[in-house]
Amino acid sequence: MLSLIRRYKVINTIGTLKITKLLSSTSTDDDIEFRVLQLMPPEKKIVSKRQQTVTEENILTKLRNEIPNQDWQTIWPAARSFHPDIVPFPLQQGYKNKEGVHPGKHGNAELLKIPNFLHLTPPIVKRHCEALKKFCTKWPEQLETDEACVKHFPVEVITSDYCYSSPTIREPLARIVSLRVKLSSLHLDTHAKDKILRLLGDRYNPETGMITIIADRCPTRKQNLDYAKYLLTALYHVSWRFEPWEMEKSAVDMEYYDWDKSKSRESLTSMYSWPSTPTDSSYEYIPHATEYKIAVSDLINKGEDLDSLNKYKQAVKSVLNLKFDDTVE
Amino acid sequence: MMSYTYSLFSRMCLRNGRRTIITAATKDVPDTSIPWFRILESNPAEHDESCLTRIYTIPSDITASLMSNMTLELRKQTEVFREIGILVRRPAVEIISYLEQTDFTKSINKYILYGIQGAGKTTSLLHLIHYGLVKRYIVLHLPWVQTWFRYPRDAVASPLEPDKIDLPESATKWLKYIKEINKVALSQLDLKTTKEYTWSQREITKSGDSLSNLIEFGIQRNKFACGVINALVDELKMASTAGKCRTLIVIDGFNAFTSSITHVKDENHTYVPPERISITSTFLSSVDYNWCNGAAILTVDKKANKDRKDSDYPTYLLGKKGFELLDPFLPICVESYSLDEFKTILEYYKDRKWIKNISDKGQKELELLSNKNPYQLWTLCKPLY
Repeated sequence: MLSLIRRYKVINTIGTLKITKLLSSTSTDDDIEFRVLQLMPPEKKIVSKRQQTVTEENILTKLRNEIPNQDWQTIWPAARSFHPDIVPFPLQQGYKNKEGVHPGKHGNAELLKIPNFLHLTPPIVKRHCEALKKFCTKWPEQLETDEACVKHFPVEVITSDYCYSSPTIREPLARIVSLRVKLSSLHLDTHAKDKILRLLGDRYNPETGMITIIADRCPTRKQNLDYAKYLLTALYHVSWRFEPWEMEKSAVDMEYYDWDKSKSRESLTSMYSWPSTPTDSSYEYIPHATEYKIAVSDLINKGEDLDSLNKYKQAVKSVLNLKFDDTVE
Repeated sequence: MMSYTYSLFSRMCLRNGRRTIITAATKDVPDTSIPWFRILESNPAEHDESCLTRIYTIPSDITASLMSNMTLELRKQTEVFREIGILVRRPAVEIISYLEQTDFTKSINKYILYGIQGAGKTTSLLHLIHYGLVKRYIVLHLPWVQTWFRYPRDAVASPLEPDKIDLPESATKWLKYIKEINKVALSQLDLKTTKEYTWSQREITKSGDSLSNLIEFGIQRNKFACGVINALVDELKMASTAGKCRTLIVIDGFNAFTSSITHVKDENHTYVPPERISITSTFLSSVDYNWCNGAAILTVDKKANKDRKDSDYPTYLLGKKGFELLDPFLPICVESYSLDEFKTILEYYKDRKWIKNISDKGQKELELLSNKNPYQLWTLCKPLY
């Protein structure tokens, strides 16, 4: 028992204090030789509680004097619940008491409830890594930069692990797998790209160009990962396939305004060649038609604002061969 | 008691922003000298960039014919000021310059005036109508399309086209107006119909009849007024293409035609889209490219349609259908007053005794309150003495 306590002595000041008290009491017992008959009961000495309790201030000063150069890993080798006598620093947890002070670490159930990571302090983690290093393979030289990693390994799988102290180590959220891949890393032509975007819907982020597939319908992570991979494969191949009903796509279904197929082109050519009807659909012979084409496409594709409208106006003016000096502004 | 009544009355007047004509109207004294903010040139064809930010007056004979179909506020202003004074502004001058240089053997050009509410689109149109009348165009001016669709007095099934709705009362009124403003041009040009129109078993307009007679027939027989409008527009297009006359189509609030709904109800008491009203196709065909010797000047306005109210820009307000019909058109922005124009207009108001004794600080306040918006400025000046 004594030796056991001595092991902790250095850091465990309270333990030490207890021991010293114990020792002193035994020594007094040894000194008594005769029992004295006391006719009158001895006067009870009122000992102030304050003297007995060991304040944290005292412990701190003591600690500062005798901080050991001992290895923390040997003291706290694995995960365990909080112990106030082993942890060598003051801690406070819980609601403020009447004096407005948070309860200290001794006899504090709140500190016991929460999980701690005292077995994973940064130096210890570092030591773990050092120990594991001999099992690792060397990082490939070709993958030094982030760009190279993205180029060679475009698919990114994101899962979450959960760690807490509870009777079960299973966490339902850990099954969710999200698979991310850049659209540009897939080999697609115009049709396939259009189709894959329609199939993806809001799973595609046009700002970053990333496709995100989240699989969470299967009970385990492995199954979800397989499912996500299957989805990506299926998407890719379905996008390349040209179904017969896709021939029915009209101008309304177009994802952008195509001037060459629009009514605008038709009206320009027929207006220009009026009163005769245009013989062919070419527009190259009309002066400034290309400028006009760009202006109309911009106006409709990029949205209408003062800038695009003015551009359109200038284009129409050159097509209609009208001039006005726009010197103002 | 008397003074109390008077003060109450004057306060009411102030609150409503109304003013009796007596307080503001000026006497028609022939001016001997021209104030700096006016120009004498009353022929819009002569207006160019040197005339900008000056006010010119429309001659009284044209004013009288225009009066009935101006907006309420403009009519009030004309009554109080005893003249239509129009500020020569860039959009109107720009379109006049285009009209002067247009190659009239080609298909018609379309001009679309756009801008925020109250920026002066309608007033610019008045300037251009005056130009058209002076240059002996036949002016087909549709003052505000939404009045046809918004407050239909009578909507009846069309006797000529099945499944369409006629608005005979508005149509008759409009024919009267067209006859009034084109009095001179119609009498001088002597236009004839090119084909026979059969209205009913007994009523036939023969080929070779004059267009004035056609209009007169529409006014007399308001059942066929919408059909007459259709015939008139067709005839004018044909006459213009043949080079007999020049036609100026002026439509205010054109986007009402391309809106999705009107306030006109059919026999089932449901609101109908503009396509089901017979005059819509007439006026849409009037701005089509397939004729020459003419021009179409249109405005688009948020107020003119019910379903598109988010932006003032023409492509949005016209919608896909309207854009495809009108494209390529020339969008022309009507902006709020510039500082020079603002000063001119205040000077004009002072000259017309509409505002008096306004300090520099007051002018600055008006400028900030109205943000130099013409209509806002007019409203803000109403209760000022």
